[in-house]
Amino acid sequence: MRLRTRIAVTFLALVSATLAAALGAVSIANRDNAEREVQRQLDVGARVFIRAMESNRRQLSQAAQAAAADYAVRQAVSQGDTDTLASVLENSRDRIGAAMAILTSLDGRVVADSGSDSLIGTDFQFPQLLRPGKATDSDAGVVVEHGHIYQLVAAAVRSPLPAAWIVMGFELDGRSTQELAQLTGLGITLSIESPAGWSDVVTTAGTAGRDAADLATRRLDLTGKAGNRVTATLSRSLAEARAPFERLTRVLFLIAFASLVVAAFAIFALARNITRPLRALAGAVDRIRSGTYDVAIPVQRHDELGLLAEGLQVMQSAVQSRDSAIRRLAYEDTLTGIMNRAAFTAALDASLTKVSRPIGVAVLNLHRFRRVNEHLGFGVGDAVLTRIAARLQADQDAGVTIARLAGDEFAAYTTLEDGAQLQPWGAALLARLSDPVVVDAQPIDISMTLGLCIAPADAATADELLRCAELSLERARRDKQPLLAYSPALQPTARDQLSLLGELQRAIDADELRLFFQPKIELATGRVAGAEVLLRWQHPVRGLLGPGQFLPFAEQTGFIRKITRWTIGQAAAQCAAWYRSGRPLQLAVNVSADDLADLQFDRRVARELLRQHLPANLLTLEITESGFIEDPEQALQLLTALAAIGVSLSIDDFGTGYSSLSHLARMPVHELKIDRSFVLGLERDPEYAAIVRAAIDMGHSLGMKVVAEGIETEAAEGALRALGCDIVQGYRYAKPMPLADLEAWLEGRARVPVLALPAATSPGDFADTAVFEAS
Amino acid sequence: MMRSMPFAAAAGMLCALLAALTAAAGTVNIVAKATTGAPAGDVVVVFDPLDATPPPSHPTAVVDQVNKTYVPHVSVVRTGTTISFPNSDRIHHQVYSFSAAKQFQLDLYAGSTNSHVLFDKPGLVVLGCNIHDRMLAFVVVVDTPYFTKTAATGSARLELPPGHYSLRSWHPDLTAAAPVQRITVGDGALDLPVVLDLSGSPDNLATWH
Repeated sequence: MRLRTRIAVTFLALVSATLAAALGAVSIANRDNAEREVQRQLDVGARVFIRAMESNRRQLSQAAQAAAADYAVRQAVSQGDTDTLASVLENSRDRIGAAMAILTSLDGRVVADSGSDSLIGTDFQFPQLLRPGKATDSDAGVVVEHGHIYQLVAAAVRSPLPAAWIVMGFELDGRSTQELAQLTGLGITLSIESPAGWSDVVTTAGTAGRDAADLATRRLDLTGKAGNRVTATLSRSLAEARAPFERLTRVLFLIAFASLVVAAFAIFALARNITRPLRALAGAVDRIRSGTYDVAIPVQRHDELGLLAEGLQVMQSAVQSRDSAIRRLAYEDTLTGIMNRAAFTAALDASLTKVSRPIGVAVLNLHRFRRVNEHLGFGVGDAVLTRIAARLQADQDAGVTIARLAGDEFAAYTTLEDGAQLQPWGAALLARLSDPVVVDAQPIDISMTLGLCIAPADAATADELLRCAELSLERARRDKQPLLAYSPALQPTARDQLSLLGELQRAIDADELRLFFQPKIELATGRVAGAEVLLRWQHPVRGLLGPGQFLPFAEQTGFIRKITRWTIGQAAAQCAAWYRSGRPLQLAVNVSADDLADLQFDRRVARELLRQHLPANLLTLEITESGFIEDPEQALQLLTALAAIGVSLSIDDFGTGYSSLSHLARMPVHELKIDRSFVLGLERDPEYAAIVRAAIDMGHSLGMKVVAEGIETEAAEGALRALGCDIVQGYRYAKPMPLADLEAWLEGRARVPVLALPAATSPGDFADTAVFEAS
Repeated sequence: MMRSMPFAAAAGMLCALLAALTAAAGTVNIVAKATTGAPAGDVVVVFDPLDATPPPSHPTAVVDQVNKTYVPHVSVVRTGTTISFPNSDRIHHQVYSFSAAKQFQLDLYAGSTNSHVLFDKPGLVVLGCNIHDRMLAFVVVVDTPYFTKTAATGSARLELPPGHYSLRSWHPDLTAAAPVQRITVGDGALDLPVVLDLSGSPDNLATWH
């Protein structure tokens, strides 16, 4: 229901209910009043009627007594002068307008009559009225004779003892009843009872013919001492009594109806006055919601609605300015002013639907940008990013759309004639961006890796294209290539990794990770120098997974830290078991670059050693060269701390990174592990032999043991032996194997003796640090 | 005044004794009572001699008018008695009678001059005043000189010559005429009890014989 209708209906209902209640109350009161009024009139009428009858009686009594007391009458009675008596009676009768006057003897015989002589000598019909010896001399009563009703009074004639009775009477006829009716204002019916029942003798006009249900009546018993019963029925028409009240009620109904009509108009007008501007405002709000911000608010008022309209106007411009700000934030990179990832995705999607030709997508990543920030400050870093963006901007004019995706990652796409142009376009892009950037007159070398893909061949949507390009970039960086175009071969691994995401967490909880051990052999003596701990994942569905299938992903997601902690914990426990059994064996655990970013890492290692009561030098941590390229200072600090604990440190994959030799010299490392790629090339490429020799010499000169891994052939072993390598590791000696196999393999083999340093005994030194439980 | 019955009886016996000693006459001591047992005053007791009729006489009597009341209320007189009706009130009175024994009227008057009426026929005469309806008196006129009226105590005493008498008694409140008795009076005293039903009223007056 609309507001206007609701307001109108509510108020009209209220007004109607109020009026109805008032009218109902008035109607009921009127009806009650009418009935009460009728009852009151009947009460009054009855009193008046009785009073009138009493008045008549008194008049009759006075006249009769006056006549009875007349000396002449006494004389006439004593003398039996009936003629005189008759004339006296006639005189008295006419004086008060009575209907009759007679004189009877004491025993009730009519002696004289004011009218005819017909009754003389007969017995008076109502001797009950004549009561000798009564205190008063006159008695009265209403009697019926021949269908006529009389009010009679008798008075004794004394001379001085009672000698005769004078009886006088009025007839209650139509005329006298009419007078009573006028006096009382009521209808009067006189009824008498006969053996045949009640019959009406006199009925006044206004009573006759009325419906009995309409009449309110009051019956008075007039019966005196003699004769038939006589009643007078006073009546009042209810309809007549109600008439004025009903007229009043009708007038009230008219007034109520008129008020209702007026109220209806007023309420509708008021409701419209409220709802019309509200609808206008609602319309304005609707247009603003749909993004139109130049809506003129059509309400000009000086009340609350006016305030609302003004507020809406202000809100509109506020929403507009915030909207554009949000748009800027949402689709624009605040530092460089070029598109961000969201805007780029939207633009690329738009182009994909519009353009039928192939679209090349490139994602590029600056190398070592973190170092620029750290060494030269964030201001310079930001300047570098801005310059790169500016260079890309130049391409934008040539139909290339560009964006900054994240910190040091940019993206570009353009329309190509065919797929063959992708590689040249990417190479050209790379070439243009690779010039040194000059910030504050200082040239800064930058290099970058580029990942490429092409639509619609590689993917159909912007998100997928970006992912493909990022996969290419990832692979290119890993393969140390400046540029790589996407191929579907990259994809499955990526899918596997993604699907592993949820399972990896479970792997540790469900104890699905397994430790494999690959022995290290002292080349000079053939004794066992230790073993490298390698991870396998006993996947419930996929079977046993090698580290290459899940560790890169763990490194990307940061999950590697948890895995490393778990591995160190397991390895330390195993190591401690051997140590306690008196056959110590050094175990080497791989530590990732991400682990080195953990500032608590050294303390965790120390706590674990304490927990297992394991001499620190029985644990070797192998750190990838690339692990400390990102932040050499922090890596150095951490390695120093680890060395202080007594843990052996080894540089893994030596030769593949770009670590500076000066850094290397300062690091408290005990061992160098030459990358397997050099060992594999050792046999066929003399240059590799030179590099390995240099590495071995350098390690030795820095006081390190040198380890070579990936030895498969006797030739390689020979070459390494010739170059002076200390320890070897590879399939030629043993594959990575489970613990049980290792135990068997170790059986009967000589071990390089280990000078076990005393185990730390006081956990208090590291009490503030969590160990390798989950953090 | 109230006297106790033993005293009255003693007084009666004393009188009878005295009468027996002094003359040849009988004494009748009348004690009148209502049927309720209450002493009845104003009872007229009349003795009609059956043996000899005494010679006529012309005595007088008085019926006074005091405080709009006739005093006495009941009188008994011998035929031929002249009754005077003095007016002791300061207002005027009228006196009338429509009784058959004596019909007369004395016009309105004051004082006691010339208000005499001769009652020359036996019978009951009812007196009234035309202007004071409540004034009422009874005069019983009899042909014998032997009659009396009881005092308020109901007693009366009468000396009678010995002989036979017919006895009548009357009172305004009699419901019916009392029966006539025959009595014989000797030389001695005679106690004569009279019991009457007085529950009536003058308005339905018992007829006088």
